[in-house]
Amino acid sequence: MDLRFTEQQEILKKSARDFLTKECPKAKVRELEKDPKGYDPALWQKMAELGWLGFNIPEDYEGMGYSFEDLNMHIEEVGKNILPGPYISTVVNTFAIVAEGTEEQKKEFLPKISNGQLILTLAWLEENGQFDASGITLKAAHKGNDFVLNGTKMFVDSAHVSNYMIVIARTKDGAGEDGITAFLVDSKSAGLKTEVIPTIAADHLCEVVFKDVAVSAKNVLGKVDKGWAILQMLVRKGSILKSAESLGGLQAVVDMTIAYSKERVQYDRPIGAFQALQHKMSDMWISMGTSKYLLYEAAWMESEGMPSAKEASMTKAYINEAYKLVSALGVKLHGGIGTSSDHDVPLYYRRAKAADTVYGSTDFHREMVAQQIGLK
Amino acid sequence: MDFRLTDEQVARRKEIYKVCEELDKKKPKSWLGFESPFDNEEGWAFHRYCAKEFAKRGWLALSWPKEYGGTGTMMDKVLLAEARGYYDLPGSDIFGISMLAPTLIAAGSEELKKEFLPKIANAEIMFCELWSEPNAGSDLAALTASAIKKGDEFIVNGQKTWNTGAHYADWAFGVYKSDPNAKKHHNLTFILCDMKSKGITVKGIPYMNGAHVYNEVYLDDVHMPAKYVVGQENEGWAVVNVLAGFERSNIDMVMGLVRGVEDLVKFCNENKRDGKPLAHDPMIRNKIADLAASVEAVRTLAYRVADQQNRNEMGLMDAAAVKIFASELLEKFGQISTDILGPYGQVKQSKFAKLNGTAEYNYQACFVPIVSMGTNEIQRNIIAWYGLGLPRMK
Repeated sequence: MDLRFTEQQEILKKSARDFLTKECPKAKVRELEKDPKGYDPALWQKMAELGWLGFNIPEDYEGMGYSFEDLNMHIEEVGKNILPGPYISTVVNTFAIVAEGTEEQKKEFLPKISNGQLILTLAWLEENGQFDASGITLKAAHKGNDFVLNGTKMFVDSAHVSNYMIVIARTKDGAGEDGITAFLVDSKSAGLKTEVIPTIAADHLCEVVFKDVAVSAKNVLGKVDKGWAILQMLVRKGSILKSAESLGGLQAVVDMTIAYSKERVQYDRPIGAFQALQHKMSDMWISMGTSKYLLYEAAWMESEGMPSAKEASMTKAYINEAYKLVSALGVKLHGGIGTSSDHDVPLYYRRAKAADTVYGSTDFHREMVAQQIGLK
Repeated sequence: MDFRLTDEQVARRKEIYKVCEELDKKKPKSWLGFESPFDNEEGWAFHRYCAKEFAKRGWLALSWPKEYGGTGTMMDKVLLAEARGYYDLPGSDIFGISMLAPTLIAAGSEELKKEFLPKIANAEIMFCELWSEPNAGSDLAALTASAIKKGDEFIVNGQKTWNTGAHYADWAFGVYKSDPNAKKHHNLTFILCDMKSKGITVKGIPYMNGAHVYNEVYLDDVHMPAKYVVGQENEGWAVVNVLAGFERSNIDMVMGLVRGVEDLVKFCNENKRDGKPLAHDPMIRNKIADLAASVEAVRTLAYRVADQQNRNEMGLMDAAAVKIFASELLEKFGQISTDILGPYGQVKQSKFAKLNGTAEYNYQACFVPIVSMGTNEIQRNIIAWYGLGLPRMK
């Protein structure tokens, strides 16, 4: 047992921290919230040059081939800073091609993703807002060897600027896990329309309407009717990595709040001298500590190829709540200034809500945990 | 990072779990949990029996220096605590093994080490703690019980309180005011004493559930030989700090929760309400899953503390976090499990009880870890002052 970061991880963390401090200050974060694209293509290119978009892509396909655990540590730092745009979704969705793509698909997509030329998003949720298999109703009808897609997807990250999307669709009648297929769909396909939804973190989630969108059989990811397992894999990996981003944000709020409480003077002393505040900050710190090693364990298990569905769901359910709780305390402990849109703490508070439904809400993951721990 | 145990540790763990599983079968019927060693004769006898079983395998001296009979590593000690927690077994004297032994190793004289460490390792003597007083709880340095030196003895007078197990313990370690004129923190002496000494009166304080766990201890002209002073005379506060500084992973409490959740899952699968297993109730599923995730979170943090201990790094803040979080999780567990049992949540261990009355037990017993060993509020101060660097209360 050795629960310390490796040297490589320390270096990864520091380089992410240094890069984002310089390239993505909070002024840029605010600017991108209002930007129609929601991300900065020039910054995206720089990230690609640093290898960020190929961390989890094998070297054979122009990636870096880093371990899942290393990626997890890196994303924790990204979360500390806040990086608007479809970075985490692209990285997570890439796993589907790495694991399930044909040789042809890998050659076509992976180098482009790694080089920053392809944004890959996931079209999963629908208007019913369900996370389980019965929520998938978008129809992909067989037409010869190819398919025709009709229906609506919701909350698709940055669909409007994406190049491709993994679409989770129904290829067989029914509401179960069987009969669901994952497709790689060109975001510029005829009949596909995107519209940005106004959301709490201004993170450019989109509605995507499919009207007779033709998809070639060669763009099926994995096997026809067997796409649910691919989505589950993305949910598992994505839950861990999204939690890493949230943990980073949580830590940033803890750091900011402690620092502020040492500076802000009332009644002739720093407000951090008052026990009422000290105990809340201790609780914030405890939330951080308990979140950390739960996440690190899940990331380590995933990295080692162990079954980690239970730990991933525990992590997501736990950190969802911890991030909301800690960022709300962060707002309150800052007092009036903490409620201002000019202040950084609300940037995190809003993202805590946005993060909690990505790859499954707390209640969804608790149900996953309930099944995993043997509740009938 | 690597959460894996070595092959050697895996083998050790298997061996420890096997012994604990066997001991579990010998538990007395009245056994309920961590208060049980102190509440009645058969609980105390089982505590001593388990201690002897561990002692004969060298497991009470895990992580000690070899010259004092030490065996194994800090991680082995964690593995034993883990197994004991999972099977809810006593046998490791919290005062002798967890508190005094490492203090003697760090701050005791050679004579004291030679006299006491083997007896502790062999489970020959059990200790209790004479610290708190009616007017000195969290603010321990405000204590008034006096130890006046006379020749090669101290004459001790005063009253101590909240003395867990003092009615069964063979020996005690205590701290007394030895110099009424000296400055605070330089006026206390840390002394060991035989509980059979003349002048000691032990009187039980019933816990809220009626159990006899704590005591008041009255000291009337008790003669304590000066050779039993730990550290320097009048510098007992430094010894108190050494003792308090041994961060505990609390993995035993955490593993008790792991087992508690397992038992609750089994119960909800096997028992029906309104014709359906309790496990089908979405509210119950949500609550138990929430508990399970929280337990896993604190379990991983407890391993972080153990890992730090294992490489001799300080993990005081993480240890405080585990103590606070695990004990408050036990409180929540007591509430949720009694809620799930409905009207049976209030039933004490008896033929009427579900889950052998452990839900009702935890609902009350949870406050022992919350208020003892530095209340959770004191632990929050420790995190704020020493961990977060916030200004210290004057």
